[in-house]
Amino acid sequence: MVRVLAALALPVLVPTIITLLIWSLPGDPASLICPAESCGSTEVLSARWNLDQGPQGFLSAWLGDAVQGDLGRSWRLQQGVQVNELIGDALPNTLILLALALIPLTIGTLRAALGPLPRGFGPVIQVLGLVPALVLALVAAAVVELRWGSASFGDAASWARLIAGALVLGLADGALSGAVGGTRALFEAEARQRYVGIALLRGEGVLGNTLPNVAPALAGQVRGRVLHLLSGAVIVEAILRIDGVGDLLWGGTLLQDFGVVLASATIFALISSALLLLQAMAEVLIALVVRRSPDLGEGAGA
Amino acid sequence: MALRDAPIAAALRAGLALGVAALGTGSTLAYFEESLPTSMNPLYASAMVDYRSQELVFDRLWFHDAITNELKSRIVERYELVDGGKGVRITLISGVKWHDGKPMNAKDLCFTVDAMLDKNTPSPVAQEYRQFITGCEVTSGQVATISFNRVFHNPRERLGFALLPREAFESTAISPDLEFSAKPIGTGPMKGSRGRRGAIFDAFANVHHTPQVAQLQLQDAGDPLVQVKTIINNGVQGIIAVPPPYRPDLSSNDEVALKSYDLRSWWFIALNTNKGALADPRVRKGLNLAIDRTALREFTIGVKAGEENSPCEFISGPFVQSSPYYNRAVPTVDRSNKAQAKALFEEAGLKDTGGRWHYKNAPITLRVGMLAPLNNEAPDLLSYIGNQLSDAGFDRNDLKISADEWKTNVLTGKATDYDLLIGKWSFGLYEDVNHLFHSRTGNAGKLNLFNYKNADVDATLQAYDRAVTDTAARDAYHKLHTQVAEDLPYLFLWKLDTRSAWRTEVRGNIISAYYYFTEIDSWKYGR
Repeated sequence: MVRVLAALALPVLVPTIITLLIWSLPGDPASLICPAESCGSTEVLSARWNLDQGPQGFLSAWLGDAVQGDLGRSWRLQQGVQVNELIGDALPNTLILLALALIPLTIGTLRAALGPLPRGFGPVIQVLGLVPALVLALVAAAVVELRWGSASFGDAASWARLIAGALVLGLADGALSGAVGGTRALFEAEARQRYVGIALLRGEGVLGNTLPNVAPALAGQVRGRVLHLLSGAVIVEAILRIDGVGDLLWGGTLLQDFGVVLASATIFALISSALLLLQAMAEVLIALVVRRSPDLGEGAGA
Repeated sequence: MALRDAPIAAALRAGLALGVAALGTGSTLAYFEESLPTSMNPLYASAMVDYRSQELVFDRLWFHDAITNELKSRIVERYELVDGGKGVRITLISGVKWHDGKPMNAKDLCFTVDAMLDKNTPSPVAQEYRQFITGCEVTSGQVATISFNRVFHNPRERLGFALLPREAFESTAISPDLEFSAKPIGTGPMKGSRGRRGAIFDAFANVHHTPQVAQLQLQDAGDPLVQVKTIINNGVQGIIAVPPPYRPDLSSNDEVALKSYDLRSWWFIALNTNKGALADPRVRKGLNLAIDRTALREFTIGVKAGEENSPCEFISGPFVQSSPYYNRAVPTVDRSNKAQAKALFEEAGLKDTGGRWHYKNAPITLRVGMLAPLNNEAPDLLSYIGNQLSDAGFDRNDLKISADEWKTNVLTGKATDYDLLIGKWSFGLYEDVNHLFHSRTGNAGKLNLFNYKNADVDATLQAYDRAVTDTAARDAYHKLHTQVAEDLPYLFLWKLDTRSAWRTEVRGNIISAYYYFTEIDSWKYGR
């Protein structure tokens, strides 16, 4: 229930916090875009961008438009372009990046859940995980730039950026080793439970007994890892210059393009909400289907 | 048969491949810019990259010829001064089409003027024109008259704005966030559009333009080393600005040519004349003598003392040495003179305690800021200046300022917590420095970084503004040069050549001062 409520609140809470942050900056928001000394007067811009009605007026106007699918135009990042268009171009790239980054994590998680890992695998992924994502991303960015030159934003180079970004996200900063280690620790702790020993004596398998009990925790871990990837995606997209939502958020923040920042942060909030809902659904399903009380048959009981 | 024809077939294939390669490479030129354009709308140009990009898309009413320096126009058929010099009647040439295919006429010219005069157009560029243009009236299809509020000695030079298409806007109130800023419509040689990672310019033949390069691709420059390696590998064909440390790598390469780009830009250290000890002109003079420009130039740009054909030329005032406004009677200060500097500090009442200068019994700590991108052109300049200040007996706090913060805080005169600011100004042939030194009153002094005030300087700047002859304007600025070199709101450093790099396959690439691509019609690409 808490997760569902949080999932519903996030897409409103995030733009609210950003709006409050905008108004907490020194000076009126329009003057951050075009200082009065340069533009003469910021009144025109304030009125145009609903910045003249205070944070409440601005937020309600923005939310009202957003619900109708109008995210306004970019003020600075790509001046004049519809934010919808920017998000529409960026979102698929971010989703592909996340999906690709999840491949090594999923394989690692499954492998750790299914049994002991090959000798040497653990140390290798731990060493890989020691490399900071920042360093790996910078190296990858330089390689792509030098390899593709002027065509470094063409199809082939864009895919190379995505794959490099996914590898950085999936391997660096202990992502893979964390996934493997976390899953293994979860299953090993559960396997030490007395009921598992009894089940083994009855000739049952370990996984069949432990999985239903670790599934909720595993779902939580997976959500945590995806969120970790999401936050990492901002840095990786910015450094590797992948045209994703993270890069929009980064660029918009640097240029104080509040329209772009609000939209891209809300997209991240929506993804987080979706993950929360998925986790809640997984937990409900486990409770309903997997962990239901055993059918003890007629005549059972006192 | 097959054997006999094999050499012919191979030759044909090779010839075909060469032809295709020539056609392919000849069609598109890619180049690295300093950054992506902020806006493609000429009313919202704020950086050099904006001016350069917009030059491809729009025609300015008048411009300077890149070779003869003559004032020319591609869209004005004839003009005449009217109303005793307070107006210009302009006849536009016929047959020019906007990039959307519609014809350009006098209504577009007057729409552009009206848009600039509209107070609901929050454009800094337009605000400049509002100072002296009062209106525009269409006389007939291609004829319109622009009126001024006073007589100018150079009225056509004042009319260097780009024409906007009337039908692309709903009203004369033009906001920066219209689609036009990303996908502009002009009458220039190229039809442009800005994307997330670059901008594309496609050739657009017109009665007054015949571009020979089919497409230009602007890319955001990253690390300078990557840029250099990429052009050597033919990954791109041009780099707009090559930092001095990387020039030897390119000049020794047969496939790349370094070309001079006259930006008329000069470097400075602005002094906060309203803060602490710096309010005393003797302290400012002392600092002027404490800085060793020759050593700075050698360490950061790599120019040895006495080196000929140096890309870096010292200046003594707010103009480059090639400018008619540069006053050669004012000498440059090439070397430090610590004894004289010390004497000036003592004369100003500073106390030397333990090798550190004290003002009002407290050690002086100078907060020094530098526009961060300048570090590419002069690596570690901020540190070297800081070291020289330390050596002269001042504690210092060095900070790099991002381009965005520079624009929003420094240029607007809000960065008054700094003592020194290291920056660069760039000008075209029309060097108006009034906003840099005039006290901030009304519309004057909009680029006065530390709100410097000097009544004599203001009077000189007003004299320049009122000048109706070239001589009067030159005399006013010569006087200004003397005044600011004496009062030192700035420590003037140098003019640093801007060099572009283009692959030798790019031919006929005349680079215009400031706007760069004015002569793009003559550019060709291919062996």
